[in-house]
Amino acid sequence: MIIEIWTKEKYSGSEEAGLISRLTHAGLDLKEAKLSRLYRIEALWPKKDFEKLADGLLTDNITEKSSLAVRPGFKGFYRVEVWLKNSATDVIGESVREAIHDMLGRSPSSVRFGRAYYVSCSSEARLKSGISKVLVNETVNIFKIETI
Amino acid sequence: MENCEELLKKFTSLDGARLAALDKAYGWSLNVPELRQAQAYFKKIKREPVRGELESIAQTWSEHCKHKTFSGPVKFSFKGKVKRYKNLFKETIVKATKELNRPWCLSVFKDNAGIVEFGKDKKWGLAFKAETHNHPCAVEPYGGAETGVGGVIRDILGVGLGAKPVLNTDSFCFGRLDSKEKLPKNALGAERVFRGVVEGVRDYGNRMGIPTASGGIYFDDGYLLNPLVYVGCAGLIPTDKIEKKVRPGDLIVSIGGRTGRDGIHGATFSSASIEEETSSSAVQIGHAINEKKVLDVLMRARDLGLYDALTDCGAGGFSSAIGELGSETGAHVRLENAALKDTRIEPWEIWVSESQERMILAVPPGKLPALEDILNSESCEYCVLGEFTSDGRLLVTFNGEAVADLSMYFLHEGVPNFEKAASHRPPKISDRPPKASGKSHGAILKELLAHPNICSRQSVITQYDHEVQGGTVIKPLQGAAGDGPGDATVIWPHSATGNTGDFSGFAVSHGFNPAVGRLDPYQMALYSVDEAVRNLLCSGAEVSRTALLDNFCAASPADPAVMGGLVLAAEGCYDAAIGFGAPFVSGKDSFYNQSKDAAGKDRPIPLSLLISATAPVDDIRKAITMNFKEAGNPVYLAGTNKRGLGGSVYEELYGSGNNYLSPVEIKAAVRLYAALLKAIKKGHVLAAHDVSQGGLAVTLAEMAFSGGLGAELDLAAADSEKGLSETELLFGESPSRLALEVVKEKEKDFLKLVKGLPVEEIGFLSEAPVLDIRLGDKRLFKEDINSLKSFWKRELL
Repeated sequence: MIIEIWTKEKYSGSEEAGLISRLTHAGLDLKEAKLSRLYRIEALWPKKDFEKLADGLLTDNITEKSSLAVRPGFKGFYRVEVWLKNSATDVIGESVREAIHDMLGRSPSSVRFGRAYYVSCSSEARLKSGISKVLVNETVNIFKIETI
Repeated sequence: MENCEELLKKFTSLDGARLAALDKAYGWSLNVPELRQAQAYFKKIKREPVRGELESIAQTWSEHCKHKTFSGPVKFSFKGKVKRYKNLFKETIVKATKELNRPWCLSVFKDNAGIVEFGKDKKWGLAFKAETHNHPCAVEPYGGAETGVGGVIRDILGVGLGAKPVLNTDSFCFGRLDSKEKLPKNALGAERVFRGVVEGVRDYGNRMGIPTASGGIYFDDGYLLNPLVYVGCAGLIPTDKIEKKVRPGDLIVSIGGRTGRDGIHGATFSSASIEEETSSSAVQIGHAINEKKVLDVLMRARDLGLYDALTDCGAGGFSSAIGELGSETGAHVRLENAALKDTRIEPWEIWVSESQERMILAVPPGKLPALEDILNSESCEYCVLGEFTSDGRLLVTFNGEAVADLSMYFLHEGVPNFEKAASHRPPKISDRPPKASGKSHGAILKELLAHPNICSRQSVITQYDHEVQGGTVIKPLQGAAGDGPGDATVIWPHSATGNTGDFSGFAVSHGFNPAVGRLDPYQMALYSVDEAVRNLLCSGAEVSRTALLDNFCAASPADPAVMGGLVLAAEGCYDAAIGFGAPFVSGKDSFYNQSKDAAGKDRPIPLSLLISATAPVDDIRKAITMNFKEAGNPVYLAGTNKRGLGGSVYEELYGSGNNYLSPVEIKAAVRLYAALLKAIKKGHVLAAHDVSQGGLAVTLAEMAFSGGLGAELDLAAADSEKGLSETELLFGESPSRLALEVVKEKEKDFLKLVKGLPVEEIGFLSEAPVLDIRLGDKRLFKEDINSLKSFWKRELL
């Protein structure tokens, strides 16, 4: 199960400006860009458990929203999903796994932390090149691009 | 090539080519003579090695662990003469420390960090250490920087019986952010490396609760493919906890992180140039929270005397840490007891894995239960790996099967070392008057202030928590608006000593001048020590008790020119240490900082020497900052303005044709600094700032806009060498100079203290926000300080 969390529109200005600035610097002609945080939780648990984790553990309900499905509202955007390779230690994932144990009294087999970027631009090839330049390091990261 | 496992079975009979092929396949970074030495050992004990043994040898003999280049023999040819060194490090840097023989040096060159006496009651030692994490940062900047910080913090935790970290330092070298050069495949751009490194240092230091409050950033395209990331740490240790001794029978206890396949071959990786395809296993992501647990356990267990010795698991992992701790006793390690991240790991991999956040303790068996109580209460994982013995043998097994069975003596003393050739060809030096740039002095000053090596570092510094622990007295950003560029940081480590009645503190600063090194490596060392000492002085630190760290970074030592530069810089370190009376207490070196560029050509870094310095501040309440404070106060220039634009930012920008370098006159500098320190201690001086990058004009501008005050100055009164041009006067970077604001009412007393020294009044501070600088009748420039500040305040990130 992947839990996706993002900052509410009202508070997301600076992180979006930072993302747009970095992608622009990599040569992308950007119209809009948004970002989310992803938690991939490996466990065969009922959906309500994941909802509880999303709502009670991983989301700051004042400034953030969450979803157990892909974040809605980005038709026509590219969605870039970035994860650490399995060979790389995921410190955030490990910490969240411990926190889940403390909350539910049981541990998922693994938790990995990732990011999703929603980008509106003209070319997937240029997006891929830009992402490689400024947002991922293929020595430790894997990423995929899909059109929504 | 034949199967590696088959080659291993007949290791003692392999020829040089096969040995080299085996080395390449296994990534040991040993050369053929070293492999021959290992061959001879196994021939002598009449058996073939297993892989774990050769892995142990490769780790222990790596450049990272053994420092073969710096501590090896060198033949230096220069100006028709030949000088031979048996051990370059001992005959220069260590020699100076021995000759100075300072009683306040409590532990030097024998532990994870140097320790000097601290505080009024002599109950504390200050441990200080800096090292580099260059190769990992080139490949994965965030993880490389994080694990670099984590590693140097563990050095402080592992010195003596453990010091409490109270300050992190960080100094970086990157390629120019505006570089248009085509990069080779897999190389990361300068901005990417810069951003990742800063984020890594920030996240690790902030999460550990240690202030990151001192350092620097230097941009030069020589570092485009090989960034340098110097990380340092200082900590407090009780003087009765400095000695450690492993006793036979002590249990080998690993605490902190688990062992995994990440970080295999980090030590041997540092002995090789970065190739296009670097394995991700050579870099890791740090886990600061695990290290914080280790820190909390150690501080409690140390004070209860629950272990006899400890060291950190750094390069080489268990192999290096246990091998080092047991070098005088012996050890039996049972790797099946190791706490693992992943069970899919070979026994030899457990042995050499450099998984982060681990420390090894030598624990008397009777004290284990008490230690376990603390470990459990801090949720810190641990495992008992075996015990230290008395047979001088390193025996490593996995469920009874031998992984390594080696003589400790051979492992630690057996590495062969070969004389390296060194030579030096000085570049052509011109001291002709500088060509005119065609720009006004004011316009030049603005361009200099905006230069990446001079402009504000606020966007980086403010990412670091430099206030945690509540002891950062003199901060990295200073002045009326809290954004001026400080010379040194002053720490009051009451959080470690628990003594709020003792106002003793310490200052930390740096000196770094690779542009000078391109012209003269010997003078680079002198300039760097002079700059570091002067920066300490600018905070009011007791510079007669300066202790130094040397951190050399260079390209391949196989190049005689690289070695020649190293020899000259090391000789410069010796002369500077003796001249300033400042012993080196610890240091580190990093070689092979070179890569192939996009055209396939070798691209070495310039020889780089970071000098880190610390000195006590007797009373932190009297420490001073760099910004101008009060209109009407006189401004003084201390030191002599000398000829030459060599190594200056001005010369880089405008190419004046003058690359002459004024040599450092150490005796004169020491006399000057001693007198100025007296004046600072008496409260006569309100602000002091060194003249370094950008020259005198930049120094005065920084003091003015950081204080929000203008100044009317006439440089004709300053002590200057004959024939000095206006350009050299304003923008030259000759050494041993600083600008001062003196309290008007104490000017007479101040002048008595500096009588006979080159210290001259050059004007007064004014309320009007204008920096008006004249040379006699001629106005050199008149600029609004807010305008100057706006050029300086460009954001790097």
